[in-house]
Formats: sequence, structure tokens, C-alpha cells
Amino acid sequence: MTGVENSRAAAAFVSPAALVSLAIAAVPLLFILYTSLGGAALSLEAFENLLTSTLFRRSLYTTLEISVSASLISLVLGYVVALHLARQPPRRRAVYMVLVLLPFWTSILVKSYAFTVILGREGVINLVLSWVFGTQVALPMILNRFGVMVGMTNYLTPFIVFPVLASLLAIDPALYRAADIMSARPMRIFFTITLPLSLPGIVAGVSSVMVMSLGFFVIPALLGGRQDVMLANLVDFYTRETLDWNMAAAIGVLLLAMVVLLSAPALWMRRNQLAGKA
Amino acid sequence: MSEYETKSGLIRPSRRRLLTGGAALGIAAPFVLRNGRAQAQSKNLVFVTWGGTYRSSVEEGLIKPFMAETGINVTVIDTPDLAKVKAQVTTGNVEWDVFDAPGAMGTGGSREGYWEPLPASLFDASDLSIPATKDLVPFYTFAGGIAYDPKRHPEGKYPRNFAEYFDAKAFPGRRTFRNRPSETLEAALLADGVPPSKLYPLDVDRAFKALDRIKPSVAKWVDSTPQTITLLQTNEVDFSYSYASRVKTTGATGAGMAFSFAQTLNGLEYLAVLKNAPNKENALKFVSYALQPARQAATMELLGNTPVSKKALPMLSAETRKWLPNMESDQNLVMDEMWWSTNYEKLSRRFKEWVLS
Repeated sequence: MTGVENSRAAAAFVSPAALVSLAIAAVPLLFILYTSLGGAALSLEAFENLLTSTLFRRSLYTTLEISVSASLISLVLGYVVALHLARQPPRRRAVYMVLVLLPFWTSILVKSYAFTVILGREGVINLVLSWVFGTQVALPMILNRFGVMVGMTNYLTPFIVFPVLASLLAIDPALYRAADIMSARPMRIFFTITLPLSLPGIVAGVSSVMVMSLGFFVIPALLGGRQDVMLANLVDFYTRETLDWNMAAAIGVLLLAMVVLLSAPALWMRRNQLAGKA
Repeated sequence: MSEYETKSGLIRPSRRRLLTGGAALGIAAPFVLRNGRAQAQSKNLVFVTWGGTYRSSVEEGLIKPFMAETGINVTVIDTPDLAKVKAQVTTGNVEWDVFDAPGAMGTGGSREGYWEPLPASLFDASDLSIPATKDLVPFYTFAGGIAYDPKRHPEGKYPRNFAEYFDAKAFPGRRTFRNRPSETLEAALLADGVPPSKLYPLDVDRAFKALDRIKPSVAKWVDSTPQTITLLQTNEVDFSYSYASRVKTTGATGAGMAFSFAQTLNGLEYLAVLKNAPNKENALKFVSYALQPARQAATMELLGNTPVSKKALPMLSAETRKWLPNMESDQNLVMDEMWWSTNYEKLSRRFKEWVLS
């Protein structure tokens, strides 16, 4: 199949889903864009207000900082899990995958309270540490950035595990055998075979996790400190508290723009891959 | 009748099912005849209120007796949200009738013109401790103040009023505040020595200056109300700004927290009827019914908040009254929700920036 035929076939398969999502996503999105411009007024006032607001700039900075660090930590944690899963026999792997999925089935709100019990000043970890060292230990692990990171990576890691695992399983085992025959060391095998060939999974995982973390607000609100304010908190503030949908929509549009920019590497990767195969 | 017991927030019964449900009540007919044309079109009412035990208290004390007396079928929906009111009113697609609104939501909706006017004849003005406005009627007041763990902080070791709450030297310990200017700025000014009767209009600059003093001792600016209690229970903080009715419920599980009634900030909860509500006549009837002394007493006995009906107060049990603030005390404050309705947005922005800095 040539590249052109390939993409034609792809278009045929994708179009029903695309039409549905256009209808249910694109129309409201256009409406949000319209609202952000002040409706029929078509003014950029909301955007001007945002860009000159300290509150917005600080939240934007915090949001990016938290999203990037949560994504990177999730990548490291998730990659290790995916590596381990890839080496299991299929049946055991299936069981482990269910374990990875378990946190999904618990509400984010309940998990946040559970973390208070685990990480709190009198939580499980501090109690064990106090007992081990025979002195009162009260490490501050919630109501600060650390708590936010634990809460977010707990939620995000599975989203890294699955795409990376798919990439790892797609690697031809013959490559590993060849490397082994040539007496390559495990580190060398990892850096010349495993890592580069799992890159599509990494890019897919990291971009989706980044996009998700841009919209977080329950976890920072419950586990974070006073400076851990995300843009989503601001959207909530303008939508429900001040009813200023103009501003809320403008933040939404800027968030969407960031998401689009972030998905660019994934698209670029995909294109390169297609070009490579053709 | 079973509709209102299902999770109506998730599964909305269809209009037809509601209508058959209403008709099945049987007692509908005479009532319709007595109350004229508008009634004939509807035996239903949609009431938006809070979930969990709050909801079951309101169902028990108010909604079930209302349905039994009037034959009107009430559908209860969880979680009042002013953004949804805005969406319904501005698109002309109103689905809700009565809205259970905390102060800021009530006055905010009033400012935007989302509520129907409430005729003065609906209420016995002499019985209400706080007067109704043209489109809002107070449902009850709730007492905010200082919560503590009596086992860790016995008498004399906990701050009793806001001046002491702001005194980190005399009462060392980690504290909470709400992550919003309302209540927090009031507490700051009371702590700074402004008498409750002279608080409004708030001296905002003075309040922020007082807050600067206590900021290092605040471990959490709380967004979600239940956290005002859980942080105290897990010993994450020593003292917490919370609510008497919330603190009261901790007693049921054993290790009870305590609440200082020496000084309280009393917020208002309103009832409002949405503009162009589909069952407007029923809604007005419901709001009037909710303010009757007997209903106020039955509902507040379960909710643990202060009724606005003066006659209802002595009807409450001694146990419940123990958890209500003495509204006669000059140390207690009733919040001025009208002042907030014009100042909330600007001050929220300033407050949030101040918290971040």
C-alpha cells in the first residue's frame, strides 16, 4: 500500500468518529471562542485583561511548572512499570495491567483524602518513621507541592504505562537476540534499541499526560499549598463565582491553544514515522 | 412518589413520568380546583439543594410534609450552581424552580436578575429574624467560627474569639481559613478590634494588613468545606475556621471536635425562585411553606442551623440549641450579603493575588 492509499483508507475509517466529535466538540468549542471574544462585540478585551492580570500570569506559570514536572515524574515511574510488564508472560501481564488500572476506579476526591491519611503529619509514613527513629517525625508531605506531585503522578502514571507498553511490545525480539549475540551490555541495549524504539509511546504518553495535567484542579486544591493555584481553578472562579464567562472562555481558549502546541510533537512524530515506512 | 427518592441529579425523570406520578397522588384534584389556572397545569416542583445528609434532612423536615399536604410532587436535584442558573435563564430553558442559595449565590443571582420577585404576603414578616428582600428569603443562618480538638486543646488553650485566633504567640499552632475573602476579611477586622456592629462597609486595607500578621500560621486556605474538619481531625492543623453544624456531626463518630460559640460569623442561606420557573406557583407556595415555624423547627432540628423564624427557635430540642449561636450576643455577626454582592468579584481577585504572594 502506498502512503496516499494508506491515508485515504485512514480517512474512510476515521470519518464517522470525526463527524461525531465535530458535532459534539467543535460546536461548543466555537461557542467558547465566540464567548471569549465578548460575543457579537468581537473584542479582545478579555484577553487583554488576562494578560495584564498578575493572578492569571502567576497561575499560568504554576500550571506549566506543575504540568511539566508531574509529566516527567510520571514518565520515569510509568516507564519502569512498562518495562517490567513487557517482560512478563502474557497471562501474568494481564493481571499486572489490572493492578495498574486500579487507581482509575477510585474517585479522585476519595484518593485525595486517602493521601491525607497516608502522607499527613500523623499519617502512616510519619508514624512509621517516628517509630523507627524513636522520635516525633512530622515531614510535611501534604498542603505543599510535594502532595500535589504525589496525587497527580498517582493519577497520571497509568496513562504513560499503556502507550509505552504498546511500543515496547512492538519491538522485534530478534533485535534483542542480535544485540545479545554481539555481546552488547544491557545499558547499551537499552539506549540503542529499547529507548529509541519506544519513543512513539513516550511522546504519546507524555503529551496526553501534559494535556490532562493542564486541566487539574481538585488535587491541587486539596493536597496543595496556597501557591498551587492552577488555571482550571481560575476557570471555575470566573464561571461559577463571578459569572464572568467572557474571562472564563478566554482562559479556556488559551488553555486549548497550549494543548494544540503540546500535541504538535506527537503529530510530527507520527508524520516522520509514516514517511519512514513509505 | 418514588421519583424524588431516585438520584434525580443523575437520572432526570421525564416530564410525562412526573405528570403521571403527580396524578397518581390522587389528592391532586380538589387542590387544583381551589388554586386556579396556573395550578391546573402543574403538580410538580424542582428543588435544587445540597447532597448527602443535608439533602436527607431537608427531605425529612420539609419536602415530605410539603408533598403530603399539597399533593405536589417535588423532584430534588443536588448541588446549587449559579452558572447553571445563568445558562437556564439566559437561554430561556428553565428547568429548576426553587434554588437553595448560600449568601453570595443568592445576592449574585439577584444582581443579575435571575430570581422571580417574592410577594411580601408569602411570609409573616414579624416572625422573621432577618427580613426577606424583593426576591430572596433567608432560609436559615449558619455559624462559622473557631473549631478545635478539645483533647489536644483543653479550656484556656484554644482561641475563643477572632482576636485570639489571630494571636499566634498566645495560641501557637497551625490554622485554616477559607480560600475566599468573605468570612476571612470579617474575621480579620473583628480580630483587629472593630466592633461587630461597625464592621460594614469593610475597611478592606485594614483587613489585609491584619491578615498579613496571621498568614505564616495558616497551613491551608481551604477550598472545600469538609476539609475544614478533616484537617483538624487528622491533626494537620490545630485550629480551624469551620461551621458549628459541621463540628456537631463529628460527635456522632466518637472523637468529637469542639466549636467556640464566644464569637461567630453567621452566613445566610436563602431560598429563591428562578425567573420564569416552569412551576412558579408551586415554587412560591413551597418557599412560603419552608418559612412556617413548624417546618423551620423540624428542618433545622435535623440540619443543625439557626432558623430565621423566631417562633421556631423555642421549638428546637435543648440538644440542638446547644449547637446554635446566641444571636442576641453583641460579639456575633450576621454577614452583610448585600455588601458582598457588589464587592465580591473585585475583592476575590485581590484576595487570590494576596494568597499567592
